[in-house]
Amino acid sequence: MRPNLDSLVPAYVREFEPYIPSKPDPELKKLYGCKTLYRLNNNENPLGPPPGAQEAIRLFPPPAGAVYPSGDCYYLRHEIASFHGIHPDQVLVGNGANEVITFVIKAFCEKGDNIVTADRTFAVYEWVATFSGIEARLIPLKAGRFDDAGMLRRIDENTKIIFVCNPNNPTGTYWSKETLTAFLDAVNGKQIVVIDEAYFEFVEAEDYPDGAAFLKTYPNLVIFRTFSKMYGIAGLRIGYLMGDLNVVDMTRRTCVVYSVNNLAQEAALAALRDNTGHIRRTRELVRQSRAFLREELARMGLPVIAGEGNYLVVKLPGSDTLAYRKLMREGIMIRPMTSFRYPNHIRITLAQMEAMEAFIAALKKILND
Amino acid sequence: MMTRQDDTLTVRLASRIAFLPVAVRCIETAAGVFGLGRDEALKLSLATEEIFACLCHEVCRGEPLEIECQNKLYYARVQFRFSVSALNLGGLNITSTMADDPETAQEHMGLMIAARSVDRLNIIVGKNNQICLTIEKEKAYPQAPQIALPAPDPVGDMAPTSPDLEGLKQFAIRVAQTRPVPFRPPFFNYPGKVADMAAGGDHQAIVVETPKGDIAGGILMTFRTDRIVQIYGPYVFTPSAEAEMAKMLLDACISSIARSRAIGLVSLNGVPVSLSQQFEPLGALSYSPENGEMLRQSCFYRLLHEDPGSVVWTHSDLKGYLEQEYRRLVLARDIKMVQDLGETRSGVSIFSAEVNGEMSAVTLRPLWPGADFAANVERHARFLREERMRNIFFELDLGIPWHAALVPGLLTSRFRPEIILPFAGQADLVVFQYYAPQS
Repeated sequence: MRPNLDSLVPAYVREFEPYIPSKPDPELKKLYGCKTLYRLNNNENPLGPPPGAQEAIRLFPPPAGAVYPSGDCYYLRHEIASFHGIHPDQVLVGNGANEVITFVIKAFCEKGDNIVTADRTFAVYEWVATFSGIEARLIPLKAGRFDDAGMLRRIDENTKIIFVCNPNNPTGTYWSKETLTAFLDAVNGKQIVVIDEAYFEFVEAEDYPDGAAFLKTYPNLVIFRTFSKMYGIAGLRIGYLMGDLNVVDMTRRTCVVYSVNNLAQEAALAALRDNTGHIRRTRELVRQSRAFLREELARMGLPVIAGEGNYLVVKLPGSDTLAYRKLMREGIMIRPMTSFRYPNHIRITLAQMEAMEAFIAALKKILND
Repeated sequence: MMTRQDDTLTVRLASRIAFLPVAVRCIETAAGVFGLGRDEALKLSLATEEIFACLCHEVCRGEPLEIECQNKLYYARVQFRFSVSALNLGGLNITSTMADDPETAQEHMGLMIAARSVDRLNIIVGKNNQICLTIEKEKAYPQAPQIALPAPDPVGDMAPTSPDLEGLKQFAIRVAQTRPVPFRPPFFNYPGKVADMAAGGDHQAIVVETPKGDIAGGILMTFRTDRIVQIYGPYVFTPSAEAEMAKMLLDACISSIARSRAIGLVSLNGVPVSLSQQFEPLGALSYSPENGEMLRQSCFYRLLHEDPGSVVWTHSDLKGYLEQEYRRLVLARDIKMVQDLGETRSGVSIFSAEVNGEMSAVTLRPLWPGADFAANVERHARFLREERMRNIFFELDLGIPWHAALVPGLLTSRFRPEIILPFAGQADLVVFQYYAPQS
């Protein structure tokens, strides 16, 4: 007898539309009839992992695949703690930053609670809240940035977590030290404030805050970081959060141990220890690509939203999802932004010049069709 | 058994003719409780009577039957749920009323009489031959007032918002007063109905209001299928701000569903010229009104996500059309051919017929495969023409391989492929339109 899923599954799960990831590259190439494919859709680092991490991946002994990893990423937590000058128990490592988002929502929210975040930002805060039965209050961006005053206004007694993506994906805007301080003061410890710093290492602006430095003053603050972007190990899925000892202690209760594999832990450890100038090289590449795209897109008369981060958003005269399909035929995969509530915009990863030139050539071609 | 605070009435009984008065009286009474007028309630109960008799005689004699009457605010819906042997499914074809001997035909006109009495009739076949036959009868509403509303003054800041009841009615009145058919679906002639459509939760409206409280523009949307949202509009009532406001409304609409289960947006009533670049033109369907010239309704589409691509199944007779359309629409599809290699098909094929009385339109959909596809298509076309249905469509789901076998019969019976609706079925749907021979 088949289970009655209508009665077994909560409505907030039944009604949630699962995210459908794109097919593997060989399948996409076959579908769209392209021989090469530049992946400019996920803000990956085209330089790959730092050399130290690449070496760690190469040297990983296959028999170690049979052994359970450190369940709480013991060595990696110590390395991260030392890197940020905090206690190892202030760190929780997860299977990508997406998993640590889940940890926090599970730890702090129950039925009737809500989270506050922006409408045009990384979708996973909203998704995890929604399919957990938690209301996601989405505050419109103001002039492309998180609206601090608007977010404060929407907080009520049921608000448990405020998520701020800093710098914001996709607009690249950020809260300065001053804005962050004022916001944390206004919240006054009543809610957990999560600052997602997935693109921290790309930011070069001087007034951009290092969230970890605020942890001592604001024990309700939680910082997310990832190894998927600057450190180039997105394929291994590893990210972490940092917070006050008591906050992390509570969050740990919802954390599934052993979810981070051995290879990811080894590669992340090596990435942090790498001193070959990987971050500098990546920043140079991003800077060069951003300048090139800005100039080319301006010449084409297309408005651009470009701030910090290794990505840039372009406004097109027509549908972004149609542009995605046309660009795919030319071997370019970008991110259409309708799902970020930016219809007619596309986001491009700032990558190697060869890819940027191919993108511009393809964009000119499809707009002239 | 009444459930959910008078929203639903459910009756379980055996499909025996002795229970006919029970079923009919229940539905008539429930329809009255749900707010249908006397005429509408009587028509719904007449349709119930015809269907119940048809089921008792032809389809599921003596078997358990569940009849559910639902209050959908602007209409009442009656669903008949039952299981049936594949051998008896033929009774569900709307043409099963056609007998070889015209003298006996009148005795077996059940489903067609039912269809004539209600606004919509549809049949869905689920797993294990579980059937759900649905009829819907709308309430009668007063027409929109004829006295023209003064044009809204678009001065000051305006932003998209959800309208209150009065705003919604004003929106409908303005559409009724300013937009010609086919850009105005008939329901806009009844502002109270539009208000109930939104209140019932099936439809959602977004409007732009002037600082003085006048509705300067609006858009109405509804889930046409699980994954496709159909929009009506945007309609803008201030020509000087048409382009700007239409874009504002469309953006608000897209934002509201961008992270929903919707994968695409479709407009079957045209879109403002200023927004044409925002959509992908699918083609056009023709509608013959009761009087006057045939109208061509342009259909537009917009995907909301990356196209994940899909496999579609078809017959060689349709391959060229699909290749051309998929190339034009830039949709990644792996077209696979279904071939008739002489395998045996058994039984009679079944088509569901969704009848829309107001539009004199019927949409046929294949429910069950059979050896008589071509004859069944021909029979349906002939029967519906004799019933004076002016607009006949046939939808094939390219995600269901056996649907492909219908293509030759459709083409032979003067059906022509007109549009592809991406992701509107298990894969894409092809909508065929019937063109009667010129007399």
